[in-house]
Amino acid sequence: MKSLLFLLALPLLYWQQGIESAPALKQAGIERLCVPPDQADAWRRAGFSPVPMSLSELEAREKLLTPRLGGRVDVASATRRPWIDSNGWRFVRDPSGKFYYDLPPGRAALAAAEAFAYGADAVLKIDPADLEAASRMFAFLRELPNDPLPPVADMAVVDDGSPLTGEVMNLLTRRNLLFQVVTAPSPKFRLNIRLGTKEYPKADAADPSAFAQKIRRQLTDENRSLRVYGTELVICRLAGDGSRVRLHLLNYGGRDIDSLRVRLSGSFARGEAFAAGYDSRALEDFVVADGATEFSIPRMGVYAMVELRRAK
Amino acid sequence: MDRRTFVQLLAASQLAPLAFAEEVPKYHVVSGYKPAAQPGMPGPYPGQVISVRSARCLDESGEKINAEVVREMMARGMCKLTGRAKPVDAWRRFFEPADVVGIKVNCGGHPWVVSSHEVVAEVIRNLSEVGVKPSQIYIYERFQNQLDEVNYAPRLPEGVQIVAAESRNRGIDNHGYDPATYVEADFFGEEDTRSNLMRLVSQKLTKIINIPNMKDHGATGATGCLKNVAYGSFSNVARTHYKGVSHTKTFVGTLASVEPVRSRTVLQIMDGLRGVWHGGPFARTKRYVFYPKQMLFGTDPVAIDRLLLDIIDNKRKAEGAISIWDRSPESLKADDGRARDNDPNVNIIIREPGHVEYASSLGLGVCDLGKIQVKEIDV
Repeated sequence: MKSLLFLLALPLLYWQQGIESAPALKQAGIERLCVPPDQADAWRRAGFSPVPMSLSELEAREKLLTPRLGGRVDVASATRRPWIDSNGWRFVRDPSGKFYYDLPPGRAALAAAEAFAYGADAVLKIDPADLEAASRMFAFLRELPNDPLPPVADMAVVDDGSPLTGEVMNLLTRRNLLFQVVTAPSPKFRLNIRLGTKEYPKADAADPSAFAQKIRRQLTDENRSLRVYGTELVICRLAGDGSRVRLHLLNYGGRDIDSLRVRLSGSFARGEAFAAGYDSRALEDFVVADGATEFSIPRMGVYAMVELRRAK
Repeated sequence: MDRRTFVQLLAASQLAPLAFAEEVPKYHVVSGYKPAAQPGMPGPYPGQVISVRSARCLDESGEKINAEVVREMMARGMCKLTGRAKPVDAWRRFFEPADVVGIKVNCGGHPWVVSSHEVVAEVIRNLSEVGVKPSQIYIYERFQNQLDEVNYAPRLPEGVQIVAAESRNRGIDNHGYDPATYVEADFFGEEDTRSNLMRLVSQKLTKIINIPNMKDHGATGATGCLKNVAYGSFSNVARTHYKGVSHTKTFVGTLASVEPVRSRTVLQIMDGLRGVWHGGPFARTKRYVFYPKQMLFGTDPVAIDRLLLDIIDNKRKAEGAISIWDRSPESLKADDGRARDNDPNVNIIIREPGHVEYASSLGLGVCDLGKIQVKEIDV
């Protein structure tokens, strides 16, 4: 039962290649996939677990951006921060939403990891040339702990459904400012971001980057549950409960990162890092001090996960 | 706590002199290293600079360096600085055989204005005379690709280490930096707010020799001892300049004063055989290269850099270029590197030559020209 639940949590490939591509999929370890309805029986007979889905059904889902770094870091731009196309905020805003990616070559692994990190119901329409990369990522994700944990948040965003609020969520996500989406202000949080109020006028949010910066200042870096040092190209999702936390790290930069430094609020025992493409699980330079835990992830490609138990 | 045994957490803004208080961002300095009884900067010779010139150190083209003349310039400079008669005794004033010595070179001005092979080789020869083994000598820079371009290896004794923290300036190689020694500051709302010290400096070296060049710099006005050892030993420093504004005025000195950098940097040898008077810190063409044919020796980086400000500014004036102190909006074309390269009257950032005075306020040396003693030697 657990494995079935787990499989359901993985994103699915949308596969339009004919049944003659079955050997390639088997070799890649892919068993469950979305296929055009008229091909479902053939795939079932070939030993797969197909989910019938027409192209129109796929496209009825919310289309996601191709996850990537939008501009080179060393090129002058309107803001100093690199531009990242990510979808985390959409998943946080609509946890029960149905999504799909239509991906150019080279993006399947990051998209699969992104959907997995947020537990999103997402289907990936990939370039067939990416099958091997996608299957490697799926194989890696299958081995990870994935029992549900509630997301960690430092503030609430009251969702009025507007594109402007969505863009604020986007910028908060890209700055690793952890928020929970609520329908009304929550007493659980010191900061409740509600556009159109005196404190958060809509005019201020017209520049979402500056608006996110304002919120960061209000929260203060010292009060953030999560900080990342050594890159600005990694977006994280943090989940946890009273006993442990799980940190997902998504690297949009396109290059592997060495010794990424993470700071988590609270005291934790030394845990493990699971980095796609790398065997080592050891966290380096692990320090617990001043009410926080810091460690380095030795090397990571597009995705890594860290699990830590709270110190007793 | 696994490793860190001592954490020095300072709000540097609280330590800054009143005159600068309004300009200083909130700095948090984290270091587990305590200062030496006598920190290397300003060291035993505050306010003293030995200036050695030789018309013979370069050939007429300015391209070939005369190694014999450089040797004599360095011998006389070191002896004058220390008051010792023999060069080996002068070097023993700073080094002993057990030392692990880092040589902070400057490769950013490749191909025309870098720490010269001849100067670096002569430093290593003198260290060997003192008894420091080649395997205990490290030439270092932040970026390996810059070291590769300059390629010191063929002229060095076997065993000398050449080390960089990052393969190139891409911000993805962090392992070469010490996660427990850093300065944290938020300048422009950047997310990565830490600048970490190279592990080599914090965990291996016992002494550092700083070999900067005489260079103009778009953000600091001039780059010499302070910036070479500060921005050349810490990560994530380019974030201090943005849209024409620079926080180098306070950050250069703040980094240079972090332990163990301050205590271990015991000798400053400014290689001014060649220099660059505009477009620095780069010198990709000879257009702005000039030939001071001069070396400066000391332990006080502020005093040397104070002289450097005038050397660069006087050269710029002689060339009809705006001063490094120019802050006029008319001169500023923010981030337009091409305009800067084409016109010496263009700034891409409002320069902050005041970083030298600020470093003095942190106790790193003497900035007042009236109190700096310059002893001149002609070779």
